[in-house]
Amino acid sequence: MNKALAALIHQQVKVYRGDATYLLQILRHIQFFCSHIPEQAIQLLSFELKISIPKIRALIEFYHFLHYQPRGDYDIYISDSIIDHMSGKNEITSYLCEKLKVKLNQPRADGRVTVANTSCTGMSDQGPAVLVNGLALTRLSRKKVGQMVAKIEGKIAVEAWPKSWFNVADNIQSKGVLLNSEIKPGEAIKKALAADPHDSLTEIDKSGLRGCGGAGFKTAEKWKSCLLSDDNRRYVVCNADEGEPGTFKDRVLLNSYAEQLIEGMTLCAYIIGAQKGIIYLRYEYQHLHKKLQETLQTRRAANLLGTHILNTELSFDIEIFMGAGSYVCGEESALLESLEGRRAIPRIRPPYPVTHGYLGKPTVINNVETFCYAALIIEKGADNFAQQGLAGFSGCKILSISGDVEKAGIYEIPLGMPVKNVLNLCGAQSVQAVQVGGPSGALIIPAEFSRVISFDSLNTGGSFMVFNHSRDILENALNFTHFFMQESCGFCTPCRVGTKLICDLADKVATGQGARLDLDSIKQLNHVMNEMSHCGLGQRAAHPLLETLEKFPEYFVKRMTDVEYQPSFDVEKSIQRAIDIVTIESN
Amino acid sequence: MVMSKRSNTFTIDGRAIPFIVGETVMQAAIKANIYIPHLCFNPEFTPNGSCKLCTCDINGRKKSSCCTEAQQDMQVNNETHELTGMRRTLVQMLFVEGNHYCPFCERSGNCQLQALAYDLGVTDLHFPQFTAHRNVDASHPDLMLDLNRCIFCELCIRSSTEVDHKDIFTIAGRGINKRLAINSKSGLLKDSTMKVTDKSAHICPVGCIIIKGEGFKTPIGERLYDQHSIRDVGNLRPDSAVKATTPMQAEKPKKKLKLATCSLAGCFGCHMSFLDMDERLIELLDRVELSRSPLNDIKTCAPDCDLGLIEGGVCNTENIAVLKHFRESCKIIIAVGSCAINGGVPSLRNNIDVKDCLDEAYLNGIGLVNPKIPSDKELPYLLEKVYPIHEVIKVDYFLPGCPPPADAFWKILNDLLDGKEPELPYNLLHFD
Ligand SMILES: Cc1cc2nc3c(=O)[nH]c(=O)nc-3n(C[C@H](O)[C@H](O)[C@H](O)COP(=O)(O)O)c2cc1C
Ligand code: SF4
Ligand code: SF4
Ligand code: SF4
Ligand code: SF4
Ligand code: FES
Repeated sequence: MNKALAALIHQQVKVYRGDATYLLQILRHIQFFCSHIPEQAIQLLSFELKISIPKIRALIEFYHFLHYQPRGDYDIYISDSIIDHMSGKNEITSYLCEKLKVKLNQPRADGRVTVANTSCTGMSDQGPAVLVNGLALTRLSRKKVGQMVAKIEGKIAVEAWPKSWFNVADNIQSKGVLLNSEIKPGEAIKKALAADPHDSLTEIDKSGLRGCGGAGFKTAEKWKSCLLSDDNRRYVVCNADEGEPGTFKDRVLLNSYAEQLIEGMTLCAYIIGAQKGIIYLRYEYQHLHKKLQETLQTRRAANLLGTHILNTELSFDIEIFMGAGSYVCGEESALLESLEGRRAIPRIRPPYPVTHGYLGKPTVINNVETFCYAALIIEKGADNFAQQGLAGFSGCKILSISGDVEKAGIYEIPLGMPVKNVLNLCGAQSVQAVQVGGPSGALIIPAEFSRVISFDSLNTGGSFMVFNHSRDILENALNFTHFFMQESCGFCTPCRVGTKLICDLADKVATGQGARLDLDSIKQLNHVMNEMSHCGLGQRAAHPLLETLEKFPEYFVKRMTDVEYQPSFDVEKSIQRAIDIVTIESN
Repeated sequence: MVMSKRSNTFTIDGRAIPFIVGETVMQAAIKANIYIPHLCFNPEFTPNGSCKLCTCDINGRKKSSCCTEAQQDMQVNNETHELTGMRRTLVQMLFVEGNHYCPFCERSGNCQLQALAYDLGVTDLHFPQFTAHRNVDASHPDLMLDLNRCIFCELCIRSSTEVDHKDIFTIAGRGINKRLAINSKSGLLKDSTMKVTDKSAHICPVGCIIIKGEGFKTPIGERLYDQHSIRDVGNLRPDSAVKATTPMQAEKPKKKLKLATCSLAGCFGCHMSFLDMDERLIELLDRVELSRSPLNDIKTCAPDCDLGLIEGGVCNTENIAVLKHFRESCKIIIAVGSCAINGGVPSLRNNIDVKDCLDEAYLNGIGLVNPKIPSDKELPYLLEKVYPIHEVIKVDYFLPGCPPPADAFWKILNDLLDGKEPELPYNLLHFD
């Protein structure tokens, strides 16, 4: 085998102390190094880590960014969210492929470049966006594409491309208590360490802070359950997988508020008694990795991380773990599976991570934003946070606003704010609909614009996508439906098979072949998937299509012939092969 | 009245069920002889929770009963109209996902997926078939692996690790591209350490892991699930000989109706089985007037037919035209036999390119003189694959079997003549 590759593998195995739970991390390195995972690497790893070959293959096949076949030296992924589409993604893709003379998903014959689609890369405020060898490049224009192609044809290494190309703007549009705060590193911890950990927990409890990752579970309650668990080897995990299309607020927090995040995780460690923390960073945020490492290092140097933090009994350190492309990893128990070096299959719950989490030990998993708010609450007090809400709601929330708005970006808003006020804030005009909470969330029409953003009525992990009257809402449903099919982990029957059936039905409707009986099938599938799926992905996967059907029947009617039944396939297409053969024969 | 608080019971469909703390709803139900449908659960192994057939209403929420611990006073609903409907859909999903052709499956009659379909009254696929490309691995001297039939219950994985301590099987891929992989260098079963004596060789609930030489041993009609429903005997694998019951006698037909029949891509076996009604045919003719049918060689349907029986799958443009003609002429369409319901034998060509099929039949076949692919304008074009008829026209009822027994024809026709919703008793519902 290639000596350099063998050396890399040996070095990686050593770095990770031969611990097989780091397999995914090692595979990522190999993928970057060879632009694929060669068979020999699999065999060597199998030997070194004592894992069977099929188990290694299983990982490679599961994660989107790992491959058996070599990718191009320049491996380009184009973000495929509906918002990217609205900012000209398709046009840019064709232009890019045309300039590079490649077909989607097929490496160019000379092995120089590959271009492929990927699920939302978290750049909806600055699309169309791509990843080039893992690094984000946003606001692609024809001009930028031309320049990129020149670099690629000139064999200029990505590291030598102009740094400015890789700038990712924060686009902070509206600041509230968190985004305005400038916590001095260590302030919140000092304050907490001066008192009993229980006081900090009480403060978090008093603030009413709830999880910002989507589920809205009470943070203090989660931390308390973990604290009360029997085992005293405990972990703090930060969910920075931010995969819900249209969300990007964690990206901004990780970029510019990492101190608060780490402060929050350290506080959590102090409260629950954990020694180790992990940040699970999605693959698409590779560009943040180095900066985060540096922040961790600075804090270690300042005695804010590591052993005996600020010369107290508290010892806690944080490791960054990179994802490899899979939306379901955002589901907390799937995330744990991924951390342990397996395919990201959501676990059977209960038991919950608070008692049986990472490596089977009690684990608190929270979203990036949740930890940031926790630090703020300890620093500024529970009341300060709670007072922020409107109309009886307490606290605030950061929204990632994108689509047909004047100013896309992140907005920290008080909870309880009506949708119409949010729309005013971001300068949205002639709004036809808003998708609140991403594809898994809800489609809101003007008649509902007085509904307020809150955990109980309109819950959102942060995604807020705006569509004006020029948009065809069925396109959204199609995009979301395909997203879910691509991201289904395949564990349970309703989601594995259902997401495919729903996609086929959506395509059938979109191409004008839908019939009334197909609508019945969509309803039945939604019912089964919603009630029977193992995790949130499958539960929500048929919903966008159904909701579009209910709220915008005109987009269906427009495309449908008013019949009860239509065949499942296109007869003309199906006989094309036979016609070709017979035509050749008769000549 | 003071009642002493009875500890450790919960209810399933209103019935009080005792349980030991830590037991799941499924475990307690099995002990109490209550059948909750399941495929991936097996009492010998840790639950997997993936098939979702065991989903029940538990305190008002849908949960997998194999993964939910029983709790005091928990209210579980198992047999509800809603759950039966949802479970039917799940079974149909599993059928369209893989390639399940029961008439030529070694496990037929002993298959738990098929048995659940019978028990839930599933007669059709409802959804379009995926026609997935899956492999058959016949490399092992004693075992065969037909991945077309894998339902990903992961029982082989669990038994191989938990009992055999071998770790032969694993799941790879994700989503709809998920696949079962073998732990050997070549990926073939023969190169693994798998033995026919392993537990995992005797665990597959469907026809995916097959022991060579064991298929088709027991005659049709005498296999385990031919006569006994899975809810009565449970999820069992071994063949179990059971005496066939006497054919059921239905009431006489009462009203005359117009009947048309045809065979598309089929073998006429279904028509032969129709004729097997024997002397009952004379009774039937008192009540039925035969329109277009290969039995009388009439070529078009009367425009006001009541009933169209269609045998065979849809393989070419002529089949489509005939189907449309039937749909326009007949009030009720019944898909008859496996070929009409899921493509059956003719759909064995579905994963083979049309050109290769034609070459094999007309150019490379044995004993051909002057080999040539027919290209006469009059001939219909082949479709790229063979479709079940429900993918081409709306179908009202399905009469499964390969062929369906004469008694099943008799029953369904009589039900319709009596103006009743047709229903097949357990012993007449089979897929082969
Ligand atoms: C399919 C799926 C994807 C998810 N993705 C994310 C995610 O990207 N980020 C996140 O913080 N939570 C995500 N969640 C929610 C997590 O499971 C979990 O509830 C959350 O991380 C808990 O943190 P919080 O209480 O701070 O919100 C996802 C859930 C599901 C079902
Ligand atoms: S619902 Fe979908 S993503 Fe979730 S476990 Fe089931 S198959 Fe996997
Ligand atoms: S008998 Fe065979 S083909 Fe039929 S359902 Fe069972 S495994 Fe599938
Ligand atoms: S081979 Fe059989 S036992 Fe194994 S997962 Fe497939 S269906 Fe289950
Ligand atoms: S179902 Fe069976 S008997 Fe009927 S046509 Fe098909 S192969 Fe022949
Ligand atoms: S038996 Fe419970 S999920 Fe399969």
